[in-house]
Amino acid sequence: MTLFDRAFGGSSEMYAWAEKSVAEALEKYGADAAVSLPSTAYSLPCYYAVTGEKLTTLGEVKAALEGKIKEMMTRKERLHNVFQAGIATALAAEIIETMKYMDGAQPYEEPYVGHFTDAMIRELGVPLVTGDIPGVPVIINAAPSVEEAVALVKSYQAQGNFVTCVGGICDQLIEAGYNTGFNVRVTLMGKDITSAAHVVSIALRAALIFGNITPGDLPNLMKYTFERVFAFVNAFAPVDDLTVGCGAGAIAFGFPVISNDMESLKGMNVPKSLILQPDTEKFNPTSIEARDVKIKVTDIDIPVAFASAFEGEIIRRGDMQVEFDGSRVDCFELVQTKEASEVEDHKIEVIGPDLDEFEVGTKHSIGYIVEVAGRNMQSDFEPVFERKFHSYLNCIEGVMHTGQRDMIRVRVGKAAFEAGFRAKHIGEVLYAKIKNEFDAVVDKCQVKVITDPEKCTELRHNLAIPSFDKRDDRLRTLTDESVEVYYSCILCQAFSPSHVCVVTPERLGLCGAVSWLDAKATNELDPQGPCQVITKERVIDERTGEYEDVNEAVKMYSQGALENVSLYSIMENPMTSCGCFECICGIEPFSNGVIIANREYAGMTPLGMTFPELASMTGGGVQTPGFMGHGKHFIASKKFMKAEGGIERIVWMPKELKETVAERLNESAKELYGIENFTDMIGDETIAEDPETLLEFLTEKGHPALGMDPMM
Amino acid sequence: MGDFKLTTVEEFEAATARLLETGAKVGADSWQLRVKNQTPHCKFGEQGVCCRICSMGPCRITPKAPRGICGCDVHGIVGRNYLKFTAGGAATHSDHGREICHTLHCTAPDGNYKVKDPEKLIRIAKEWGIETEGKDIYDLAHEVAVEGLMEYGKPFGHQRFLKRAPQHTQELWEREEIAPRAIDREVASSLHMTHMGCSSKPEALIRQSLRTGLCDGWGGSMMGTEFSDVLFGTPKPIDTEANLGVMVAENVNIVVHGHDPSLSEMICEYADDPEMIAYAKSVGAKGITISGVCCTSNEVAMRRGIPMAGNFLQQENVVLTGACEAIVVDVQCIFPALGPLSKCFHTKFVTTSKIAQMPDSEFMHFTAETAGENAKAIVKMAIDNFKNRKPELVYIPDMKQKATVGYSVEAIKKTLDTVTNSYVDETGTTKPLVECVKSGVLRGAVAMVGCNNPKIRPDVAHIELMKKLIANDIIIIASGCSAQAAAKAGLMNKDAKDLCGAGLKRVCELADIPPVLHMGSCVDISRMMILAADIAKDSGWNISQVPVVGCAPEWMSEKAVSIGNYVVATGIDTFLGVDPYVCGSTEVDNLLKHGIKDWVEASYTVEKDIDKLVDAMIDRIEEKRTALGI
Repeated sequence: MTLFDRAFGGSSEMYAWAEKSVAEALEKYGADAAVSLPSTAYSLPCYYAVTGEKLTTLGEVKAALEGKIKEMMTRKERLHNVFQAGIATALAAEIIETMKYMDGAQPYEEPYVGHFTDAMIRELGVPLVTGDIPGVPVIINAAPSVEEAVALVKSYQAQGNFVTCVGGICDQLIEAGYNTGFNVRVTLMGKDITSAAHVVSIALRAALIFGNITPGDLPNLMKYTFERVFAFVNAFAPVDDLTVGCGAGAIAFGFPVISNDMESLKGMNVPKSLILQPDTEKFNPTSIEARDVKIKVTDIDIPVAFASAFEGEIIRRGDMQVEFDGSRVDCFELVQTKEASEVEDHKIEVIGPDLDEFEVGTKHSIGYIVEVAGRNMQSDFEPVFERKFHSYLNCIEGVMHTGQRDMIRVRVGKAAFEAGFRAKHIGEVLYAKIKNEFDAVVDKCQVKVITDPEKCTELRHNLAIPSFDKRDDRLRTLTDESVEVYYSCILCQAFSPSHVCVVTPERLGLCGAVSWLDAKATNELDPQGPCQVITKERVIDERTGEYEDVNEAVKMYSQGALENVSLYSIMENPMTSCGCFECICGIEPFSNGVIIANREYAGMTPLGMTFPELASMTGGGVQTPGFMGHGKHFIASKKFMKAEGGIERIVWMPKELKETVAERLNESAKELYGIENFTDMIGDETIAEDPETLLEFLTEKGHPALGMDPMM
Repeated sequence: MGDFKLTTVEEFEAATARLLETGAKVGADSWQLRVKNQTPHCKFGEQGVCCRICSMGPCRITPKAPRGICGCDVHGIVGRNYLKFTAGGAATHSDHGREICHTLHCTAPDGNYKVKDPEKLIRIAKEWGIETEGKDIYDLAHEVAVEGLMEYGKPFGHQRFLKRAPQHTQELWEREEIAPRAIDREVASSLHMTHMGCSSKPEALIRQSLRTGLCDGWGGSMMGTEFSDVLFGTPKPIDTEANLGVMVAENVNIVVHGHDPSLSEMICEYADDPEMIAYAKSVGAKGITISGVCCTSNEVAMRRGIPMAGNFLQQENVVLTGACEAIVVDVQCIFPALGPLSKCFHTKFVTTSKIAQMPDSEFMHFTAETAGENAKAIVKMAIDNFKNRKPELVYIPDMKQKATVGYSVEAIKKTLDTVTNSYVDETGTTKPLVECVKSGVLRGAVAMVGCNNPKIRPDVAHIELMKKLIANDIIIIASGCSAQAAAKAGLMNKDAKDLCGAGLKRVCELADIPPVLHMGSCVDISRMMILAADIAKDSGWNISQVPVVGCAPEWMSEKAVSIGNYVVATGIDTFLGVDPYVCGSTEVDNLLKHGIKDWVEASYTVEKDIDKLVDAMIDRIEEKRTALGI
C-alpha cells in the first residue's frame, strides 16, 4: 500500500460517511431544509472558499457532494489528484460536521468548541499577523500518555501558539483537568476526526477575510495558506486512512504532518510535508522546524533586570562577587556556525564550577560559545553577533563586560549573585538576544558556558584563536577588487541627514564600527535597513575610486545633497563625514603629508588645531577637500588616500594612536613600498607639536612624503 | 499568478528569420541553406552500411551485395562504424579532460590558474589514496594532476573513479568485462578492433563501444568535470540570463564558444578588468559583455553567471546580430562556417587551440602557461574591433529569459539539506529526493542532454519533452545544449514551477529551485553519473531500478554516442530522437535496443516522434515504479 493509495482510501471513506450523514438528514428534514453553521457569513466556509459557492439547503449540499466534491476525487497517481482528494476529504468532513448542526442543534458542549464563529477568527487576525501567535498546531489522536499529552500542549502554548486538538488528545486533556478555551489558546475541536474541518475552516476563512482571496480561486487560496498560515498537524499513532486523507488536505494547504506512526506510515515520509518522528517528546521542535515557525523569545529567564539602562553600570572591586579576566587567565567569547542537527535549540550547558563555587572576589577563567544553525546563516555573520555580546551582557543588571574575543573581562556584582544570578544566565541572555535580533538567519541556538579552567585553556587555544585567525585571514583576502558590491551606511542620518558612508572591504565606516562584513550582514538581516547594496560595475576612475553606480547611490541616499564621491582621495570629492568619526586626517603643507588625530587625543597637532577644532572643519555631511574623517582601521589600509600616494603621506599621529596601528601600518608600508618600521618615521606629540620641528624630524628620518609631489 | 511566460520556439524562429534577412543582405551562408543542399542525405550513410576502412572499397551493402569485398557482412560493418563513432566521441571528451589535468598541473599561487576549491582537491586526493596531510595545496594539485594524467595511459588496472559506482554496478562491469582500463588504451583498442581484418562480430564491437563510453564518462569526462571544479570552483546556484537578448548593443560583445573552460574563464577574468573596461569606454562602448555559446557557455554560466547567448544551432545567429566584436572559440562543435560568415561582418573569428584550427580565422594560440596575456590580447582585439561595427547591420533580438543555474551534485545535496528536518534526517545525502520519488510526489527524473540537430526542428524536442515531463511531476536535470534550450525557453526560471504538476511544484517551492536543473556542460554528464550512483546508494536500489531515464532527443555528435554508451552501461535506459546510423543492421539495432539489457540492465530506445518519445519515457518511469512497488 502506497501513501497515495492510503490517501485515496481515506478520502473514499470520508465521502461515504458524508453521503450517509446527508442521506439521514434528508430523510429527517427534506431537501429544502436550511443548512448553516453558527455566526458565519461564509457558510459552508470550506466549501465556499474552495468553490466560490455558498450552500444553503440540504438539497444543495447533496448536489455539491455528488457534483463538485465527487469531481475532485479522481484517482490518478499524481500529487495533484492526491491534493484534490485531500481537499475534497476536508469538504466532506465539513458537510458531516454541518449535519450535526441541523435544525439549530448545539452539538458541542464545553469544553469542546467545534465550529468557530467569524468573530473568533477576526479576533485571531491581529496576533496571527504580528507573529504573536506564531503557529497553529493541530493535534490529532491520543498521545502515548496523559502526561505527554499535557507536556506537548503546554510546550506549544508556552510558545504562544494557538493549539487545536482533535480526537483522543481531548479526552486526555480533560482527564488531566487542563485548562482549555479560546482565551488560553488551547481549544478542543471535537471527538471525531471530522472536527478537524473546523480548523481548516479557520485557515480558509482567514484567507478570505485577511488575504482578500476570491472565493473559488483555489490556486491562490492554496498559495495564501502555504505562505501565510503557519499551521501544522501532529498525528499520534495509530494513524488511520481517514486521517491520512485529511492529512493530504492539510499538506495541500501547506501544513506539514508530523507523526510517530512508524508502522503504517513506514517509508512514506516526504520532506517538509510528512515527517516521521518516533520520539514524541521531540514533536514540538520537529514541527516548529518543519513549518518554519518563528518563535519569539519574549522574556529572558534571569533573576535580575535586563535593560539598556544598565549598559554603563560599573561594578567596583568591592561590589564584585567574582571576576573573569582574559588578561590574566584564559577567557574567550565565540560564535560558531553549526549544522542544524548539531544544535539543540535553547540548550544551555554549564561546563565547570558555577558561580557559587567560587570564593568572593576571586578571578577565574570563562569561555562562552554560542552555537547557531540556520539555513541563511553565513560564517561571515559570526563576528557581527560576537560584537553584540558586549552590549548584551552589559544590559544585565549587576554584570559588567569589557573587551572582545579572548581579551574579555566580565564582573558579576554581589547583588546580582545574591539575587540568584548564575553562569547559565549568561547563556540565557545570549540565547534570547541572538534568537530575537537575528531571527532572519538563526533558526536554532545553543550556548555553552565554560568555567572549567583547563577546558577554557584548551578551547581558547584550539578553537577560539584558530577561529579568530581564520576570520582575520578572510578579512585580509577581502579587498575592494575581490568583492562584487559595496554597501551604503546611513545609520547616522538621524543627526547628519545628508551623510552617506560607502563601506568597502578596505574602507570601513568612519565611525569605526561598521566593516564591510557588518554592513553585508546588516543588509541581509534587514534588507530595507540602513545598509544597502551599491554595485560597482561602472568605474569612472580607478585611481581615485570613483564609480558611476556609487555616485548614483550617494546622490540617492543623500537626497541629492552629494553628487560625486571618491573612495580613495582626500582632495578630489572626498567622502563626507557625519561627525562621529574615530579619526580625522588633514593636510600638512610643509611636508607634503597629512597628520591624523584621533578623538581621544586632547593635545595640539602640528596644524595648530586640536581634534575638536579639526573636526569642526568637516562633518555634517559636507565635502571638505584636504580633510577627511575615517575609522582607525582605515589607517593601515592600502586604499588610504591611495589617489594621493597612500599611507606614505602620513607624517604625524598622536603616540597612542601610532602604537595602536603600528603593527598593521608597518606591514602595509613594507608591502607597498618596502619600508621597514614605517611608524618610526612618523612624528607624534612627544616629537613635535609645530610644523617646523616636525619637518626637521622628518628630514632627519628621510620620510618619503618629503620627496613626493605637492598635494595642492 | 504572476506574468511569467515561456518564450516559444515560434518566437525563436521569428528572431532567427529576422537575422537571416541581415545575412541575406550581406550574402552570408547559413546552416539552413546548407541543409537544403545536403538533403536528401546518403541512405547508405544513414543506415551505417557503407564501409571505407580499406582501399579495396568503399563497399556498401545492399540485398544484391550482402557482403563487402573482404566478406564482412552488414552487421560487422554497422557495428564497426558504431564503435569508431564512439571512439571519436570518447577521445574528444577525454582529451578535453586531459587538457584540464594539464591546466591543474600548471596551477601556482601567483599563476594564471589557481586552486579555487581546495576542499574538493583534498577530497579527490584522499579518494585516490594520495597523502594530503601537511602538504602544500599546490604540491598536492600537481601530484593529483599527474595521477590523473596517468589514467590515460597506465599499463594496468581500471579507471579509478569506477569505485564511485555502487557495488552492484561495479560487479556488472566486471562480469561483462567492460570495466574500462586506461583511456587511451580503450580508444586505441577500438580503432584496432575496427581495422580491416579485425573484429566483425557485433557483440564484440558493441561491448567495446560500452567500455569505451565508460572510459569517457567515468574517466576522461569525470576528470574534466572534477578538476574544472577544483580549478574554477564547484558550481552553486547562481542567476543568469539566456538567449540572444543578453548581448548588449552599446557594449563590446565577446562571445565564447566551445567547451574547455580554461580559455573562457580567463577571458571573463580580463573582461572584468577595470583597465579593459576603461579601454572599451575609450573606444565609445559603454562596457564589455561576455556571453557564451555551447558548453563553454554552460561552464562560465554555472560558475560566474555569464549569460548564455544560445546553443549549438544558434552559433551563426550570434554573428548575424552584427554586434559581435569577436567570437572566441576553443574546441568542439564549432562550425567552420563561422570563418566565412565572420568575413561578412566586422566580427573577428578567433581560434585558439591547435585541436581546432580553421580557415578564415585569426589563430591566437592559447596555452595554460601564457593564458593571462593571451586572454588580454583577445579582449583588447575585440575592443579595437568595436569601431569597425556597421551600425546599419546591428540587430539583437530583444529576447531573453532569467535562469538559475549551477546545480552540481554538491549544490543539489546542499539544496536538499534545506528540506531536511534536523530532528530526524541526516544531511549531505540525496535522501530527500529519494523520499519524494518513493512517496510519488515526484514520479522520477529524466536526464536531458545533447545537442541540436537540423533533423529535428531546433529546440522543439527539448522544450516540448520537458514541458510534458514536468507537468507529470518528473524533475529534469539537464546539461549541454539541452540545458540551454531550457534556459532560453524560461524553464530554468523559478517561476516555471507553475507549469509543473502539483508534486514537482511543491518540491520547487520548498527547495527553491527551478523544475529543470542545470548540471553543466556535456562533459558534466559525469555529474549525472555520480548523482545516479549516490541515489542508488541512498535508496538501496540498483541504478537500473531507480525511476530515471536519459534522453538525447536532438543529438548529433560523436561525443553524444559515447555519452549514450556510458549512460546505458551505467544502468540508465536512454531515449534517442535521432538514429545512431545502425538501422542497417538488425543485429546491431537489436543489441542496442534489447540485447545489452542482459549485460548492463539498460538499453536504448530510438523514437523520432516526439510525442511518442515522451510517453515512452513516462511509461518506462512508471514501469520502474511498479517494479519497485512504489
